[in-house]
Parts: sequence; C-alpha cells; structure tokens
Amino acid sequence: MIKFEHVGLRYGVGPEILSDVHFTLEPGSFHFLSGPSGAGKTSLMSLLYLGRHPTRGLVSMFGQNTGQLSREQLTKIRQSIGVVFQDFRLLNHMSAFDNIALPLRIIGQSEKEIKENVNELMEWVGLGDHRQMLPNTLSGGQQQRVAIARAVITRPRLLLADEPTGNLDDESGLRLMNLFDQLNRMGTTVVIASHNTALMERFPHKKLLLDKGQVLLEEPAPKTGLREKIMGRL
Amino acid sequence: MSPFAKHKGRSLGIQKNQRQYDLPLNKDSGVLFLKTLVALMSLLAILALAGSFALSEMTNRWSSGLENKASIEIPVEDSQGVILSNEQMQRVTDTTQEFLSKHPAVEQYDVMSEEKIMELVAPWLGDSPTMQSIPLPKIISVSFKPKGNVDMEQFKLQLQNIAPQARIDTHESWLADILRFTGALKYTAVLITMIIGFTTIIAVAGAVKSRMAIYNEELELLHLMGAEDQYISKQLQRHTLILSFQGAVVGTIIGIIILLIINWGAGRMDITLIPDFSLNFVQKAVIFLIPAIVAGISMVTARQTVLRNLAKMP
Repeated sequence: MIKFEHVGLRYGVGPEILSDVHFTLEPGSFHFLSGPSGAGKTSLMSLLYLGRHPTRGLVSMFGQNTGQLSREQLTKIRQSIGVVFQDFRLLNHMSAFDNIALPLRIIGQSEKEIKENVNELMEWVGLGDHRQMLPNTLSGGQQQRVAIARAVITRPRLLLADEPTGNLDDESGLRLMNLFDQLNRMGTTVVIASHNTALMERFPHKKLLLDKGQVLLEEPAPKTGLREKIMGRL
Repeated sequence: MSPFAKHKGRSLGIQKNQRQYDLPLNKDSGVLFLKTLVALMSLLAILALAGSFALSEMTNRWSSGLENKASIEIPVEDSQGVILSNEQMQRVTDTTQEFLSKHPAVEQYDVMSEEKIMELVAPWLGDSPTMQSIPLPKIISVSFKPKGNVDMEQFKLQLQNIAPQARIDTHESWLADILRFTGALKYTAVLITMIIGFTTIIAVAGAVKSRMAIYNEELELLHLMGAEDQYISKQLQRHTLILSFQGAVVGTIIGIIILLIINWGAGRMDITLIPDFSLNFVQKAVIFLIPAIVAGISMVTARQTVLRNLAKMP
C-alpha cells in the first residue's frame, strides 16, 4: 500500500508546489494521474519514486514510513519501483540491451538470466533487431520502448510512467497500455501521468486529479452502452 | 554480481568496445588530465624521495666514517710557545702510543706519516722546498672499539696527564652540525613528498568531483533505480585506480630515468662528496611501490569523494 498523508513539497524557500496531498493507493491498483500543466504532476511522481523527500507530511511505501527508513532500506524500496521518465533518461553510451539490463545488474542478477530476460522483453517490445544499437540512433518511439522495457524488466511492485504514450502511434500506445494492464493484473501497482483523455476513457481506471497542489480522487465513469447513450439523448 | 563480471581477460588497461561502466567514464577528456596529473605527482615524489635517500646515504657514510674515531695532534710547540725538537716530539709521540696501546677502549691507532701530513696541508701551504723545512705536528688517528663505550672526558684527562700539549679532536662538533643540516634536508624532502601526496589527494578529489558534476544526471538515474552507493562508487574508484596506476607508472619510469642521468652526470663530474646513488633493497622497494601507493591513495580518495557526494542525494 502507498499512502500520502498531508504531504507538502516546496523547492527551497519558494511556494508549496504540493500542499496537503492526501491519498492511498491499494496494492495492485491502477491510477491515472492527470491535471493541468504546472499542477505538480512531475513533483508528485518524484515523491512516488523517492527522488525527493516531502517538506512535510508522511509518505508510506509498501507499508513503511519512508521518513524513518535508513538509506539502505530506501535503496531496496527504489529497486521495487519502475519509472518511465518523460524524457526517457536513457544512457546514451550504452546499447539498448545494456540500458534495459541495467536494473537487473543493479539488483545483482546473473548475466545468463539477464541475457534471457532482456532478449525476451526486447522481442516483446519489438526491439529484437536493435539490441546493440545506441539510444541516440533509435527513433523517439523506439527510445520510449527501451525506457519502458527498462522500467518493467524487474517486474516492479510499483510502476510509474510519465506520459508513456506521448511518442507512440495509436497501435503502439494501445499495445503498451495492454502491457501495463498485464503487469497490473500480476499485482503491480500502476500510476500513469497523462494528458491523453482518449486513453483514459479507453482504460477506465481511477484518476488522481491534481490541481493547485492538491489531489482529488476520481472513480472511473461507468461504461455507457448504446442503450444508455440513446436514453441519454432522449 | 558485479557489473564487471561478464568481461573475461581484462587487464589493467581499459579495453575498447566493451561495456565496463554504467557511466561514460572512458569517453571524457578528464582521462588524460588525471593520468598526466598523477604522472607528474609521481615524478615529483620520486625525485623528492631520491633526494631524501641520497641525504640518508651521505649522512650514514659520514657518520659511520667518523664514528668511534678521533685524531690526536701533538703540536710542534709547547704551552709556552717554544718549538719542540724532533727528539722531544718523538718522545711525546711514543708516550702517547704507549698510552693508546694499553687503553682498553682503543681498537687501533696509526701515526700519520710526514708525507701524508704534507699532502693534507699542501693545499694551504703549498709544496715548495721551503715548506719542507717547516716543522709539522704529529697526528695519530685513533679508532675506538665500536661497543667500547669510551668515556671521552676521562680519556682526554688521561691523555693530558701523559702528554699535556696533545690535543684531541673527536670530530663531534663539526660532524654534529653537518648531520643536523643533512637531517633537516632529509626531513624536508620527506615533508615535500608528503605535500605531494596531499596535493595528489586534493587533485584527485577535485577531478572526481568534476566528473560527478558532469555525470550528475546518470548518477541520479542509477540512484533512483536503486543502485547502492557502493555499486556506484566501485565504478568510479576502479576507473580512478586504473588511470592513476597508469599515470604513476609513467611518472615513475621518467623519474628513474632522470635519477640515472643525474647519477651518471655526477659520476662523470667526479663529485666525491655525494655518494653514488645506489639504492638499498628497502629504498628500491619504496621507489617501485610508488605506482601502487599513488594508485591506492587515488582510489581511496575517489571512493570517499563519491560516497560523500552520493550521501547528499535523498
């Protein structure tokens, strides 16, 4: 379970970017995080992937209060979180294979297992022929797939994605969302920051609406069938 | 499992076309800077240490050459300034020799020949025939037993009783000054070596810090992926170790070549005051260990710098 209680965040002595953020993410839940530009989505994501400490309030990850954890314990929690950054943040001196393998090397998996797992995932995301290519020789969409593969390779407990379908065509975006759904069904908690309303309508999950530094939880709208639409018009 | 485990047959040199680090360390211009810096520091350290070793050798040679030794001079005139005859001089010399032969602390003694004394005074008095007629003092060089623990004050008193005009010179006064001076030079050289070591630490820490600033984004990414501080620091410390070792080997080789040239030049100039620059086993070991020592210091410095900087991340 992930819990934010009265969380506030400010940079330096500036105004609070997030104020009194309060929500709970149940294990295995799927949420979209949306809100206008500058609402603090990226800041909230950085708190979720433990890239920052909150200025105030309590952040609890997988049942542990992060404010009371040692550096080593925080590192272990970070290993359970997969992040797809909006700007991908790939390491350009490494091949696509090595970028995806990186989280596995960090947790100390054997090279044999790494080879098997990475090759399998690269085939799955359609990069089987691009294993040794450097990120800057790949297209935007291919880079995004490398970033996504890197985030999910360890089957994280929490998957965070910042605008993951931004550079993808509809078919690839759909395929990606199906991958997230699949991971979610396997127990991974998923939070996707997105502006894509069509995507959010297509996948009716709960929404964390971020506005003016505060979070509102919105339940998914019930799917409307043809009968309801006709009745609605009447 | 180390991220380096998959590479086989890796030597200390950085292999190309293989992933070795998660950070693009092999590709930046800092590589040459660090190698050059460490090479220069190693070169300076070798020269300073060699200076210290040479001074040690000189001090040892002088002190061992004059330790437990004394010179007894029997002057040509008595305490009233009256010139002694040859017979009188010989009598005092014989009495002194008899005293020395019976003294338990004396190992051996030798009366210096007139020819030898003439040779010694020739630079000041010249060697013209006129000078041959000038009366010369008698000089007896005495060696005491190394563990005889001679009481020099007592020895002087005993000598004065049998030969009141005899003067004894234990070389202590001027030797002590020389030894103090060379000792100060020796410790200055050691201090310079330490300053070089300290400068190396600061320079390596600065180089590592600047690299961390350059690769801050990559470091942050590794940190967010759950890389332990040790995992990250191992990469930078290994990289620094390799570069420092390579630089230090180059610096040491250049240093040794310079020392050989100095030794060869000193030999050709016939400078006898300075001893031959032959190193003993320990000194050779220290010189040859310099690359390992410098590389070790650099590695530890890099590790501490990285860990201290990573600790600032949340």
